[in-house]
Amino acid sequence: MDPPDMGLPDRDPPDDLDEYLRGDSALSRQYRRESAPAPPHALDRRVLKASREAQGPSPQAQGDLQRARGASPRAQDGSPQAQGGSPYLAPLAFAASVLLSVALVLAIVFGPPAARVDNAPRVIRVAAHAEASPNAPLDRKLRLYSSDPKPARAPSVWLADIAALRRAGRNSEADEQLRRFRVAYPDYSTGDLASRP
Amino acid sequence: MECFDEDARLMLRYRDGDVEAFSTLYSRHKGPLYRYLLRQVRNAGAAADLFQDVWWRLIATRGRYEARAKFATYLFHIAHNCTIDFFRRDLKTQHAAPPDDADAQDSEPEVPEYQRPDRIAEFIEQQSALLAALGALPREQRETFLLHEETGLTIEEIARVTDVGLETAKSRLRYAIRKLKKSLAAVQIPASQPLRTRGSLKDTFVNGPA
Repeated sequence: MDPPDMGLPDRDPPDDLDEYLRGDSALSRQYRRESAPAPPHALDRRVLKASREAQGPSPQAQGDLQRARGASPRAQDGSPQAQGGSPYLAPLAFAASVLLSVALVLAIVFGPPAARVDNAPRVIRVAAHAEASPNAPLDRKLRLYSSDPKPARAPSVWLADIAALRRAGRNSEADEQLRRFRVAYPDYSTGDLASRP
Repeated sequence: MECFDEDARLMLRYRDGDVEAFSTLYSRHKGPLYRYLLRQVRNAGAAADLFQDVWWRLIATRGRYEARAKFATYLFHIAHNCTIDFFRRDLKTQHAAPPDDADAQDSEPEVPEYQRPDRIAEFIEQQSALLAALGALPREQRETFLLHEETGLTIEEIARVTDVGLETAKSRLRYAIRKLKKSLAAVQIPASQPLRTRGSLKDTFVNGPA
């Protein structure tokens, strides 16, 4: 057993290191006979791809080569996978674009109708009795303007209208209004309005 | 010198947008860099990660590259920094790291991975006596030896790559050579014979180099 390093002199003879540095030592020859592992091809592809991508848009030479190949920049990789896959990328991309476009058109034409904003005018019934024309029939006014199923007119007003119809000799209209008044206010006394003059 | 100039020119061309220049540069240096990392960290997965990291950094900093030295010194300085970061992240390595001092170069290896039983079997199966002895060296000595063998860098260039003085780099290399020779002599096998043919070498792994 050799003595440990600690027991060795501090310096080797100068020719030992010099011999090695000349490159013709037995140690160097032996090291060069060792196996020389290389990085996996996947690493090669990744590094070379990164080197291209780092340069941004491909230079003119690369662009020419890509156009000649009709392939994506991955074809520059030099790897079997990249060279085998890239010729199919462009047709696949084109086919996918066409398929999506057709699907979109079909969905628009034959798909379920989308919810639309209804701009059709609608009648909104509001109470506007005061603004109604005094010449319009009362029942019509009520039907058109009243949002309340019950008569909105006050009983005394309604009875006053009926009395006015009597005085004007429009008894048939007064009778009809009176009939409706009684339907609307069955417990309200109508006085002598029921009798014609 | 011609080769170093050519690599630096390639890097300058890549910096200016020539992607093909990088491919050439990569093909020249990928093997030495990978072996340097693999034999430094002695873990294929970690070596692969570091390998990518080194190239990522080179690509990311290409805009600041200036050909002031051999391209290999630039590349392996990045690799050196990456391995330093790796070892700092490794708590075991951090606890066992020896002082970065030339006077303490002959202390025990700072990475006791070869003492783990699972690693012992792996080393015996896969490594030659020389690589096993190399793996048992202190990290700094192993790095100096690998830089010289894989890249042909001079002592001055290795010192620049590893951020140490010239004498420190020289001392590390000297001790590395001495220990490798002693380890190979201790196992008494022909230099090129695979380690797995010598069962007694297991003691060498467990106990470290003599």
